[in-house]
Amino acid sequence: MGFFSKFRKKSPWILHYNTGGCNGCDIEILATLAPKYDIERFGALNRGNPKQSDILLVTGPVTKNCKDVLRRLYLEMPEPKVVVAMGACGHGGGVFRHLYNVENGVDNIIPVDVWIPGCSPNPRALIDGLLEAIAIWEKKTKEKEKLRNHSDELIEKLGVNDD
Amino acid sequence: MIGVIFTLFAPIFGGVVYGIERVVKARMQSRQGPPLLQPFYDFFKLMDKRAIMVHSFHALMGIMYFITEWFALAVLILGNDLLIAVFFHVIAVLALVIGASSVRSPYSVLGALRELMHMISYEPLMVLLVVALFLVTGSFNIIDVLNYEGYPILKLPLVFFAFLLTIPMMLHKSPFDIAEAHQEIIGGPEIEYSGPFYEAVYTGKWVEYVYVFTFVFLFGGSHYWLGALLVIFAFLFVNLIDNSTARLDFRKMVKFAWFVLIPVASINVILLALFR
Repeated sequence: MGFFSKFRKKSPWILHYNTGGCNGCDIEILATLAPKYDIERFGALNRGNPKQSDILLVTGPVTKNCKDVLRRLYLEMPEPKVVVAMGACGHGGGVFRHLYNVENGVDNIIPVDVWIPGCSPNPRALIDGLLEAIAIWEKKTKEKEKLRNHSDELIEKLGVNDD
Repeated sequence: MIGVIFTLFAPIFGGVVYGIERVVKARMQSRQGPPLLQPFYDFFKLMDKRAIMVHSFHALMGIMYFITEWFALAVLILGNDLLIAVFFHVIAVLALVIGASSVRSPYSVLGALRELMHMISYEPLMVLLVVALFLVTGSFNIIDVLNYEGYPILKLPLVFFAFLLTIPMMLHKSPFDIAEAHQEIIGGPEIEYSGPFYEAVYTGKWVEYVYVFTFVFLFGGSHYWLGALLVIFAFLFVNLIDNSTARLDFRKMVKFAWFVLIPVASINVILLALFR
């Protein structure tokens, strides 16, 4: 907690990743970036690049095809970082729950800090969730954060053990 | 003395210019936009991130880009040859290109190649601009250009026009933001930098703003009010173009530079050399 930590809350950069949802949440995210709600006035930008982002905003149930991509994105983000799961699908699968191709929610793959409920959440709910995420983010340190339920085989497959 | 202070505080000026630009861009899109000091908040936040690098040479080239860019600005402002400043700017961009080519990410390598296309487009124009200023003022030295009694803009209208359309190529603005292309190659050469190392690249871009707009200022000669007006006009014009156009192909950028801008600037230089 140095001098620079005070400025964290002024520039949260967002990485948005859709893990196989219906795009409803993504349209709400775009509405939040658009002129009416305009989250750039809080300094938030949609970077699209895990190496320069602070908040991982995940929508959708995690399909089996993209769970490794989600793990990689999480591991490539430098600490301190926060994960926000948005929409009903992220909370245990939503309407896709117990299908053969989904992992039933974001929390089974990576640790989630903030949940934004709703199908799909209002942009105001999204802004509220982002503010919650910033409050959690301010308390985090630069320590390396691990995946949930990771095995040595998985770490080897992802190629991140020498980071 | 003013030059030394200006050079030392150039990253801060560049950050303020970038902050103003983000506000202007937001207002042009009828948004409220971030606070004016937002680039500095980003700067402090990036200081606080964990430092991850791909390999040490890549990180070194990111820092080299910032230092060399700053050095090119120092060469430009501290009363040296304008041509040498242009060539130091080439070294700065080359540091970025070499760093981006040294990682395995295809986006980064593609961005490096496109950055070279940018260089092919704007470097001849920069040299033509310096030669045109030499023909008007009789000197390559910035102090002589800034003490020139006449109005260089009146003798170089076509060169100024060509340079105005070159600024989007140098600063990666919208019709020519081919190397950066946030929607297709997500930042291009800067994609693999993170934390403090990205900060060096980010700050290098602010210094580039100061570098480019110093060249615009030179068109005012010894009339500093005219130079300031030209800088403000160029800034607003470039932002207007940035917000109202879509990205072009790199072939179209090179063709536009070589078949439109360079002939236009050359005609002005040739006429000037014939009838001065």
